[in-house]
Amino acid sequence: MSAESSVLVKVQNLKKYFPIHKGILFQSHIGDVKAVDDVSFEIYSGETLGLVGETGCGKTTVGRTILRLYEPTSGHVYFEGIDLMSLNESGMRAFRKRMQMIFQDPYASLNPRMTVGSIVAAPLDVHGVPDGKDKKERIDELLDMVGLNPDFVNRYPHEFSGGQRQRIGIARALAVNPDLIICDEPISSLDVSIQAQVVNLLEELQGRLGLTYLFIAHDLSMVRHISDRIAVMYLGKVVELADRNEIYLRPLHPYTQALMSAVPVPDPDIAETRHRVILEGDLPSPAHPPVGCNFSTRCPLAKEQCFTADPEYREIVPGHWVACYFADQFVK
Amino acid sequence: MEQPLLEIKDLRVTFHTDDGTVHAVNGVSYKLEKGEVLGIVGESGCGKSVHALSIMRLISIPPGRIDSGEVLFYGKDLLKLELDELRQVRGGQIAMVFQDPMTSLNPAYTVGFQIMEALTVHKKLDQNQARDRSAELLSLVGIPDARRRLDDYPHQFSGGMRQRAMIAMALSCEPSLLIADEPTTALDVTIQAQIVDLVKRLQSNYGMAVMWITHDLGVVAELAHKINVMYAGYIIERGHVKDIFKRTRHPYTLGLLGSLPRLDEAPGTKLVSIPGLPPDLVALPKGCPFVARCTYVTDSCLESMPPLENVGDRDHLVACWNWAAIAEGAA
Repeated sequence: MSAESSVLVKVQNLKKYFPIHKGILFQSHIGDVKAVDDVSFEIYSGETLGLVGETGCGKTTVGRTILRLYEPTSGHVYFEGIDLMSLNESGMRAFRKRMQMIFQDPYASLNPRMTVGSIVAAPLDVHGVPDGKDKKERIDELLDMVGLNPDFVNRYPHEFSGGQRQRIGIARALAVNPDLIICDEPISSLDVSIQAQVVNLLEELQGRLGLTYLFIAHDLSMVRHISDRIAVMYLGKVVELADRNEIYLRPLHPYTQALMSAVPVPDPDIAETRHRVILEGDLPSPAHPPVGCNFSTRCPLAKEQCFTADPEYREIVPGHWVACYFADQFVK
Repeated sequence: MEQPLLEIKDLRVTFHTDDGTVHAVNGVSYKLEKGEVLGIVGESGCGKSVHALSIMRLISIPPGRIDSGEVLFYGKDLLKLELDELRQVRGGQIAMVFQDPMTSLNPAYTVGFQIMEALTVHKKLDQNQARDRSAELLSLVGIPDARRRLDDYPHQFSGGMRQRAMIAMALSCEPSLLIADEPTTALDVTIQAQIVDLVKRLQSNYGMAVMWITHDLGVVAELAHKINVMYAGYIIERGHVKDIFKRTRHPYTLGLLGSLPRLDEAPGTKLVSIPGLPPDLVALPKGCPFVARCTYVTDSCLESMPPLENVGDRDHLVACWNWAAIAEGAA
């Protein structure tokens, strides 16, 4: 991405805490699950920003909070400079048609009692058909765009395979000509050969329609393939963000380093020789994150200061952000 | 030649359903040597799990049926054993780890009780011995404070820890074969790396053979000595790990490898996807099951299923009529 690219979405100090209550009749608030804890980043127009991290790191919550499917605890999301959090319901609706979502599970995200045609038409009924076209024509066009036969409009989701259902989900997201699509693990429930089909489709559509993607996933090799820039999350925080090659060739955060080395490489020669960083232990609970740096409990580099104060999230070299005290030693 | 640990001969498994007969495993034959790590790779519905469950006769009959074949374990046909003899083998000499660590432990019993059960049944240990051994096993698989955690229930363990507990349970009777059916699919990559590392270490320490079933080619590249690639119930390519990755001869294996993004790819590279979908196992085509998605189809492919042929100097088998043409193209 060039430096002049315009910022489409700007996320600023976003927090989403889910309260924990105790008691049934007389509920008292006893704590919070800090799913997203002070996250800031920008998404440029026309790019794909990959958002990776392990289960429970808050990546899906970030995606949903941007769309205000969850109300944030605090923080701002600017879409073309307009603060989405300041909008009322009808104001928000105008923006919803510019931001769509593709969900992880193609079996659960399509209503089994609706035909493919009515699933894809649902956003058109709410927001109107773009460019004053005929609705039926638009549905045919959308199905064709995602590589499905337009004769399938009257079929039901159960008649399709996982990959085809994900195509239906993509057609639904494209229906209202959005600018931004949040792809929440769109390929993780698909077989390898089908994953490649869907990723190729997403890339082709991006080129053709000028879409911007926030691509949420835990499969790092696929994220690297599809993304321009990548943000790594750990326990509710973005710990590193950089250009996709930069982050693979020169990961600066010890968590990113461990994550990269944990990805199995489908090449026995590389697998034989490479050095792996194996992390000890499990992810701490986001209801009781550690004091200091969130990664301190598993970090091979952790020193005293890591257990007392949170490291600052800083731009260490232009375009490369990291939150670690010791990142400088890896810059060279 | 020494007797192989496990030899499977022409195994065929079908399921009889309302929609017709599902041909899940269609004549699988191979040998597994002592101490060998065999990766079994394929997509959903290719028969990889069904074939492994059939080895232990764990598929439900009906609707399933093992139509033919032999599963020789130390020369003894497991398919012909009496149930009480088979029970000695299950969990004793052959142990199994399943995909979902959330559901394969019984939530109503403590983890310790479940590990001890195998030890008291197969090893005839008394309660105290079994408890000591269980604590040893749990710490062996890297669970801290193992003795205290024996009294925990499965819900008190995280996903990675449960999978470790399953592995501890599988290892408890020092099996000579560990069958791992997608043991890391439900886990995060950093936890997966821990488990792969653990199994690798245990395998070399105890010299046990491992059958690792997965759809992840990356994991088998790191772990396996040999690989069977399965498609629609057939083994379509088999060989040493380097032959499979570097001298790939079957168009399906080529497609699978092409579907994965490479670390050294140039920006803007398109993935080579395999067009279409796997065939319906109720109505398999007459010839090769891969014809509908293959780019090398010739007349013979439509006529009959190609046999597994040796294409290299060391046990590299391919079931494709056109492997020679593909080899030439690759050279």
